[in-house]
Amino acid sequence: MQYMVSVITGTADLATPDEMAAIDVFNDRLIAEGYWVFAGGLSDPSSATVIDNRGEEALVTDGPFLESKEYLIGFWIIEAADLDVALKLATEGSKACNRKVEVRPFL
Amino acid sequence: MVASLTRRFGDLDIAEEAAAEAFAAAVERWPADGVPPNPGAWLTTTANHKAIDRIRRENKRGDKQQEAQMLHDDDPPEPLGAVDDERLRLIFTCCHPALAMETRVALTLRMVGGLTVPEIARAFLVQETAMGQRITRAKAKIKAARIPYRVPSAEDLPARISGVLAVLFLVFNEGYLATGPDTDPVRHDLTAEAIRLTRLIRALMPDDGEVAGLLALMLLIEARRTARVSPSGELVTLGEQDRGTWDASLIAEGHRLVRERLAARVAPGRYQILAAINAVHTSARDVRDTDWSQVVALYDQLVHLDPSPIIALNRAIAVAELDGPEVALAAVDRLEDRLAGYHAYHATRADLLRRLGRSQQSRAAYDKAIELAGNTAETAALTRRRDQLG
Repeated sequence: MQYMVSVITGTADLATPDEMAAIDVFNDRLIAEGYWVFAGGLSDPSSATVIDNRGEEALVTDGPFLESKEYLIGFWIIEAADLDVALKLATEGSKACNRKVEVRPFL
Repeated sequence: MVASLTRRFGDLDIAEEAAAEAFAAAVERWPADGVPPNPGAWLTTTANHKAIDRIRRENKRGDKQQEAQMLHDDDPPEPLGAVDDERLRLIFTCCHPALAMETRVALTLRMVGGLTVPEIARAFLVQETAMGQRITRAKAKIKAARIPYRVPSAEDLPARISGVLAVLFLVFNEGYLATGPDTDPVRHDLTAEAIRLTRLIRALMPDDGEVAGLLALMLLIEARRTARVSPSGELVTLGEQDRGTWDASLIAEGHRLVRERLAARVAPGRYQILAAINAVHTSARDVRDTDWSQVVALYDQLVHLDPSPIIALNRAIAVAELDGPEVALAAVDRLEDRLAGYHAYHATRADLLRRLGRSQQSRAAYDKAIELAGNTAETAALTRRRDQLG
């Protein structure tokens, strides 16, 4: 079962060197113990572009699809047996990156 | 049965519906074919077949690979006591921290306690449709997010236990004051089930003070069960109960647990305090013999831990015995904002007003209490008291 662990932030501050080091340690553990699928960091929402090509002409809009105080800044995709395992890993992930995280199962 | 089906098929919906279909089949066939020699086994086998049929149907529709795998039940035959294990697993799934607290309670009442959605809705003072949706959403989340069906590991257990205790106490309360218009006023099936489950939890965590406290509390309340409803079907208040009919062995066990917790010399939690209050009641020969100052002191301790208006209401009832109905009424009236929709608030006011000789106001309060009360025996007792007013 795969879960997406979304990293939520309320500030545009990038991870500090300490946070980066903790994230590296956590990533190494995910890989070593077989939980790792993929992970990545995102630049802040002001760099986003929204495309809507449902109509006749593609509509290109500058900025995120939703303006909000808190937004997605990165994510892990993990392989875990069940939600208890995923929540435990996410708890450690939140500590490592020093941000709030959201856990959602893939369909 | 739902617990064992859930274990086998890993899906609450399938388990619940299969159990319901099996009962429906029994209702249809037993009158014609006769009751089978082992009705329980017949129901279990039928429910298993219904569940497999249902999964096959769904497999044809889509990618239910995971459920198909669960058809191959490779587990060895389960030893005695497996039913208990399955109940524990089901409790911990229903009480998972990824579910909202009120959802956990509702789901446990539905899946473990076997209450209907309307009964649960009444217990929570919410609309039936909203309660139905809450339970459906919870089951969907358990399935989609794969909330596991097992007892947590030893290191996770302490963090998971308080939610479970809250749920078990609510199941017990629903049994002790059942809300349905067509159910028995006291549902021994639910109180017994809650006690049984709490004993299971205690076996799992024998040193946990609140587990012991909750068990003691339930036993001391359960001991008074038969005295609680009169032969004519009215609820009998604590003060009017025939204490000779109380169950002495349950009281002795409850008192033993309370003493065990006192000896532990650890600051008590809410269940231990509630158990201590009930130990005071069950130690007294009658209402006048009751150590009311001790009861009020324990409630004061409880208010610090749990500032809920219902605790404040119960404290006021004890205050009436210690300081008189006038002082108590003032305390009760301060709770109006938060308890105006709660029958016990109006019933308490009605009783205090009656004792103060304010018949007209008392009558109005009884009317309101009768309108809101869901328990048949309580409605009967309230109605008689109202009609006896001068």
